[in-house]
Order: sequence, then structure tokens, then C-alpha cells
Amino acid sequence: MLMGSWPDELDKALARCANGDRAALRQIFDLEAPRLIAVAERIVRRRDLAEEVVQEAFIRIWTHAHQYAPERGSARGWIYAIVRNRALNLLRDGRREQTVEEVETLREVDQVDEIMAAWHRLDRESRLRDCLGALDDIKRRGILMAYVGGYTHGEIAGRLGIPLGTAKSWIRRGLRALRECMA
Amino acid sequence: MTYNRDNIAGIADEYVLGLLEPAETAEIEAQIDGDAELKAAVAASRERFLPLDSGVEPATVEEKLWRKIEAALPARQAVVSTPPANDNRRNSWRATALSALAAALLMAVGLGWSLTRVVEPVVIAVLINEAGEAQAVVEDFGSEKATVRLLGDFDVPEGKTFQVWTLPSQEMGPVSLGLIDRARSVRLRAPSLPAPRNDQLYEITLEQRGGSPTGRPTGPIIAKGFARPAQ
Repeated sequence: MLMGSWPDELDKALARCANGDRAALRQIFDLEAPRLIAVAERIVRRRDLAEEVVQEAFIRIWTHAHQYAPERGSARGWIYAIVRNRALNLLRDGRREQTVEEVETLREVDQVDEIMAAWHRLDRESRLRDCLGALDDIKRRGILMAYVGGYTHGEIAGRLGIPLGTAKSWIRRGLRALRECMA
Repeated sequence: MTYNRDNIAGIADEYVLGLLEPAETAEIEAQIDGDAELKAAVAASRERFLPLDSGVEPATVEEKLWRKIEAALPARQAVVSTPPANDNRRNSWRATALSALAAALLMAVGLGWSLTRVVEPVVIAVLINEAGEAQAVVEDFGSEKATVRLLGDFDVPEGKTFQVWTLPSQEMGPVSLGLIDRARSVRLRAPSLPAPRNDQLYEITLEQRGGSPTGRPTGPIIAKGFARPAQ
């Protein structure tokens, strides 16, 4: 898998953002925005909303860059988490009910294929790919629907046709098995 | 805290997957800075799942998205008084300043200033040294008045003086608020400046007696910090 940059490049760019260097934010944008938009779009299902998410996320990256520290994980993980949170917030924000309804209808289309594609696209050498492959199909689906598509427990239960409590406990067990497999 | 300490890794995974209820999510976000185990578990979980995101087919990006972002960026200033080669050090200094702030503000209240004062400052900046120790507190009242109080005994070398600076904006550059000689607490006469802002930089440098000859900081930085609203 081709990565756009070395992780420490993003590290340095965040440090420069914390010092008010706009060129550093631009560098992060050039390196990561194409993937960040795609990640947000998998969750919010609309390109215009995905761009809105990424726009808000970059402003947050700029204003919070000083809070990034290596003990929070990689710089890339920190940046992606900001985009993911904005996308989930937009989806779950009560004030955006209109959006949620529109998104709900869009979600049905090709969604499951796209979610499973995220797994298939993982590097052949990837430990995550192998460990997801070792899970029961339904646990793997549940985990991927949550992470890749931003589905809630309730939505996952509905799509998989299982009771809510069952969905929760299967996902929990799946996550535990995944942690053990990747440890 | 309500989350189960025995299952931090499980909670971290559910947080990263966005599966927690809003109240639980808010609790994790409130606790994470003070809980090293939780912080590490969330970081590990993010790294585990990150390949699902970083391996996505990239979208095409138009320049106008960047222009929108750039237009919406709030102004913030760089630290102009240290050489650009020290990016990382400056960043860690700033992070230390932020984490030390709550404790230092409590200390300020303990010293009794906030309780007896009639006029409230607009902002307070706790200035720390490179080791993260609070060295001084600046209270900026706006309207051409600011005070600085040193929080320890300093040996000011013969022929030298401490000079207090602030950075109202990148365009103005650093502006001297005045000199501190031996006194622990000094009332400064600030030139006419814009109202002090949240996040405005204050710093103390060691300068030759009489103050910096150039009108800009030239000597080593003794302490610096960023302003916070006083209320």
C-alpha cells in the first residue's frame, strides 16, 4: 500500500501548525485530504457533507495541534480520529435530522459492498486483514459496519437482523478476539 | 468515573468505533487527559484500525476546499522570539504551559489576588520556564496597565534586567511592557495596544540594563506563557 508520507513528516507538520505555520497545515491537507474526504464520505454518504466534515476537521487540527503528543498515538491516527469524530457527530447530531434521513436512504445503496471492500483493500501482509479474516462473518461485519460505515449498535442489529443485545455482545466478543489476535 | 477499569481496552475499542452512547463518549473525552492507561488504550485501538482508513481509495480534492479552510482559520501567532530551528522545543514548551495552567491559576487564587481586587484583569498568563515550572504571573488589564509578579527569587546578573514582552499580533511583533529590576511585583505601563486576547503570548527575557537596545527581545527567554481569560 502506498502511503503518502512518512509518519514523522505529519508529526513535524503538527508541531509547525502549533506554532502558527499555515504552510504546515497546507502540507497536511495535500498529503491527507484525498483520503480523509473518502473516509468521511463512507460515514456521511454525501460528498458535500464529507467536505464540510473535512473543512471543520482541518480547523480543529489547526486550533488543537498543540495538544497532539506522541503518547496519543501516531500523528496520522490523531488526524484521522478528528475527521472520524466530526463525521460521526454530523451523523448523530439531533439538529441535523434532515441530513440523517437523507443519509439513511443513501446508506442502503451499495453500502455493504463498500464496507467489506475496506477489509479487502488491506495490505496482504496486514495483521488486521488476517485477524479480521479469522473472525466469524457476522462479527467481522458488525465491526466493519461500525468502524468503516459509522453504524450504531441499533443500526447494525437492524441490518444483520439480530436483537440489539446480541449485536452488542457479538461485537464486544469480536473486538476482544481481534485484540488478542493482534497482540 | 463509570467505565469499568477492568475493561479499558474494550471501552477504548468501542470509543474508537463510535459505538458508545453520547454520555459515555463525553466521559471518555473528559477523562482521557488524566488517565494514562485509557489514553494508551485509545491510541493502540486507533492504530489497530487505522489501516482501514489509510488504505481507502483517495478522493479527488479541489483547491476551493483549501481556500474555504484557509478563510475560516482563526488567527494565531507564532512565537517570534526564538529561532525557527527550535520547533519541537517550542511546541513542548507550549504543551507544558497548558497542562501547568490549571494548577498555576489555583495558586494565583491562593495568593489572594482574585479575592480582594476591585478591577479584574482581562487576561492572566502564567509564565513558565523550560522545565515547566511557573516563574511569573502577568495580569493584563488592557487599558495600558499590566502587572507582573515573579514567583521566586531570581538572580539578575549585574548590568542586566528582566524585560516583559507581549505579542499582540504577528503584524505588530513583540512589544515591551516594561522592565523588572529587583522587585517581585511590578506594575507595567503598556503602550497603547489592542485589547489582550485569549492565547496571547507573554514572555520575560534577560536584557541589558535599561532594556533591549533594539526594542525587540534579544536576550535569553526566562519564562513565557499564553494568556487565558481571567474570569
